[in-house]
Amino acid sequence: MSDSGGGADAVAAAPPLLRVRGMSKTFPGLKALDGVSLEIRAGEIVAVLGHNGSGKSTLVKILAGVYQADPGSLVEVRDAAGEVVSGPSAREELHFIHQDLGLADILSTVENLGLGRATRGWGLGPVHGSAERRHAEQLISRFGASFDPTIPVGKLSPAQRAIVAIARAMDGWTRPDNVLILDEPTAALHGDEVQVLFEAVRRVAESGAGVVFISHRLDEVLSLADRVVVLRDGQVVAEAPTSELDHDRMVELIVGGAVAEVALTPQDGRGEPVLEVTGLCGGEIRDLSLTLRAGEIVGVAGILGSGREQLASMLFGARYRTGQVDVAGEELVAGDPAGAIAAGLAYVPADRRRDGAVMEMSVRENLTLPLMRPLRRRFGRLDARGERIEARRWMQTVGLHPPNPEQPLKLFSGGNQQKVVLAKWLRVRPRVLLLDEPAQGVDVGAKAAIYELILAVRHRGAGVLLCSSDTKELVQLCDRVLVLKEGRVISEVPRDSLTEARLVRDELDLHSRPT
Amino acid sequence: MSRPATQKVAAAASGPVLGPAGRESWMRRVAGAVAFRNVSALYLLALMFVVFALWVPDTFLTWGTWRSLLSDQAITCLVAVGLVVPIAAGVIDLAVGTEAGLGAILVAWLLAQLHLAGLVAVVVTLLAGAAVGVFSWLMITRARIPSFIATLAVSSLLTAAIEWISGSQQIVNLPVGYGDLGSGQLLGVTYPVYIMLVVAALLWYVLERTPIGRHVYATGASPRAAALAGVRTSRIILFALVICGVVAGLGGLLLTSQLSAGDPTVGPGYLLPVIAAVFLGSTQFRGGRFNVWGTVVAAYVLAVGVKGLQLAGLPIWIPDLFNGAALLLAVGLAAWRRTPSARTTTLIRLLRIRPAVAPGGQP
Repeated sequence: MSDSGGGADAVAAAPPLLRVRGMSKTFPGLKALDGVSLEIRAGEIVAVLGHNGSGKSTLVKILAGVYQADPGSLVEVRDAAGEVVSGPSAREELHFIHQDLGLADILSTVENLGLGRATRGWGLGPVHGSAERRHAEQLISRFGASFDPTIPVGKLSPAQRAIVAIARAMDGWTRPDNVLILDEPTAALHGDEVQVLFEAVRRVAESGAGVVFISHRLDEVLSLADRVVVLRDGQVVAEAPTSELDHDRMVELIVGGAVAEVALTPQDGRGEPVLEVTGLCGGEIRDLSLTLRAGEIVGVAGILGSGREQLASMLFGARYRTGQVDVAGEELVAGDPAGAIAAGLAYVPADRRRDGAVMEMSVRENLTLPLMRPLRRRFGRLDARGERIEARRWMQTVGLHPPNPEQPLKLFSGGNQQKVVLAKWLRVRPRVLLLDEPAQGVDVGAKAAIYELILAVRHRGAGVLLCSSDTKELVQLCDRVLVLKEGRVISEVPRDSLTEARLVRDELDLHSRPT
Repeated sequence: MSRPATQKVAAAASGPVLGPAGRESWMRRVAGAVAFRNVSALYLLALMFVVFALWVPDTFLTWGTWRSLLSDQAITCLVAVGLVVPIAAGVIDLAVGTEAGLGAILVAWLLAQLHLAGLVAVVVTLLAGAAVGVFSWLMITRARIPSFIATLAVSSLLTAAIEWISGSQQIVNLPVGYGDLGSGQLLGVTYPVYIMLVVAALLWYVLERTPIGRHVYATGASPRAAALAGVRTSRIILFALVICGVVAGLGGLLLTSQLSAGDPTVGPGYLLPVIAAVFLGSTQFRGGRFNVWGTVVAAYVLAVGVKGLQLAGLPIWIPDLFNGAALLLAVGLAAWRRTPSARTTTLIRLLRIRPAVAPGGQP
């Protein structure tokens, strides 16, 4: 990255690199954006905060040209010298990392990185394999990662995919006065990786670029951004330097009122074991055993590669495993999700778009998919009326917004999609609820609603296994937390001594092995 | 679920819980139901009707023309309706044409060479169609070959089987009564039309009104997510391919009855019109979903186009041209309605216009 960008005084004086004025966007029945104005100056990191459905993603998609803004909206892009850039090059000044990353899953990292670069001539020149590979390895190593850049991106973990997307946006960076727009890039990253990414983002800003950073993790915003813009219901409700804000104030701004912290009532007494795992092996997991009792929430912590991301799907049967898994005393057959559901398991995957739900289908159809037998009538007919009533009831229970059960799930915001995924599993009344990053990429309001749902499951007497990279979430919700490392449980932290610091220390195995 | 906890959740969630449903939504539903993008094939049918009625009124506007159209197209329509199931489940069956061909030759061979009773021959032929479906399923789910390639290969295997059974000769000398099945009439319309309507109604019921149908669509939309929601996707694909094989076999044996001979060359000709009907049908009625009645309408709309052009005296290669163009149009139309924003992008790219300032803004 070159340092040809203007000095500090020039930054303050120069007109903004990106100016948005009076931007509105109307969807049928919904005003997603309503007169939003925003300025990004060179060298500045601006965080955009807001609920799911507050219009953040819509704003990004309009800038990226996916949506067309309503007439009357103004978008202005300037270079470092203050000249307005127009025409085709305007969009080239903006670099995006979208929430869904926009990677081609079947192509390798090397090929994905090549996608963003302009081809010379007719695009028929030879591709320099080894050079490209070295270049790719170099790029991803800037984020502290090392993996084989020749395997398909679809086979990488979420964190590794995020790294590829970020590397791609930063590659082919020709001038320092561009704007980098990150739409929840850290959703799948763990603590250390987040820090590496932040370091890279800061370097980008120092070189004279503007950065727009969209995230749900407020702590991250506090440590990274210079300025915060808060959206609510499509409008800018607040704009302030980060130094004037703290965590509680931001939550208030986002939600439009203070929200109560989730309070975990102490357990009344230990229930029967509902899930017993002995000698589980497969993937990164080596000989893992655990017991989950009715009415408790057991957290699973661990850094990336500890087996934490694989445990839930493995228990559910979606991933190869050996070893014994008993649900309420009944042994599960490996590799059979339908059988697992029948035995009383439910699984909320981390990758909502790919695994969590059928995005093309409506909320109603997704809700009833795991359990349709109660809705079956004579001649195998599906009770359409009963299904609609049930969908409407669940929609109200979880507070779906917009409240339309016939809309395809893909048109909802991430938080609302997750509410539907949880609702469909609550509907089957599971004995054991397996959760994998249940509040990932979800805003504060939806997060509180999701936590309430999880607590309701516990209250009803089911066991909950909560695999999460968010230590705060684990501390808030869990009766005890198992910490994984290299596929084994290395420690168990009871509720009394459960703190974020303790979890992070255990995850990195800092005290048990002095070397 | 405990009541207090859920109520707290509802209270914690923001926004109105109940939207303005009711009257407004049904008015929109009616407007949506007759909108061009939802029933474009019916408008197309009306347009073609007017054009051909003015162009060749003497032949086009006769009861005989329409009756024969209805009967001739019944088998194509039947096979297309069968193909809706695997395509909705996310696998394509390119062997559907040769499956019909196999049905046609097998029933003739069973009747003429083995002298089996009519009913037995029909049942064996349908079972053979099912067996082909099972084989395709094994190749797709067990050998993990993509359905496009697997069924293309199966299609070639079936062509070989047809040639082998028939010795590349037509099989004649069918029992006298067998022709009635395909050409017998009720109220001026041949039996295959009624058979097609019954099969279409059955498959409509299964796809749209039963849990199995829901599982079929879920498998087609996202096999991973469907499997994780407890759908046994492999069984669904088996079901889809067996249904397709049986229905195609039924189409074939009706054709043999209509022709009063087993013709080894008839199968492949069905593939294109059938696929065109299924894809054009997906743009009708159900907002982009592959569906039975859309397919039936599409098959007949295509047939009316072909028939009109033939009556107008255009040459023999017109049906192929028309079906090919219709398939491209249908799939293009389906993609068009999926991504409304892609339309402008495509137009802009075609016309080489770029937004004057930045994306999304006004100049």
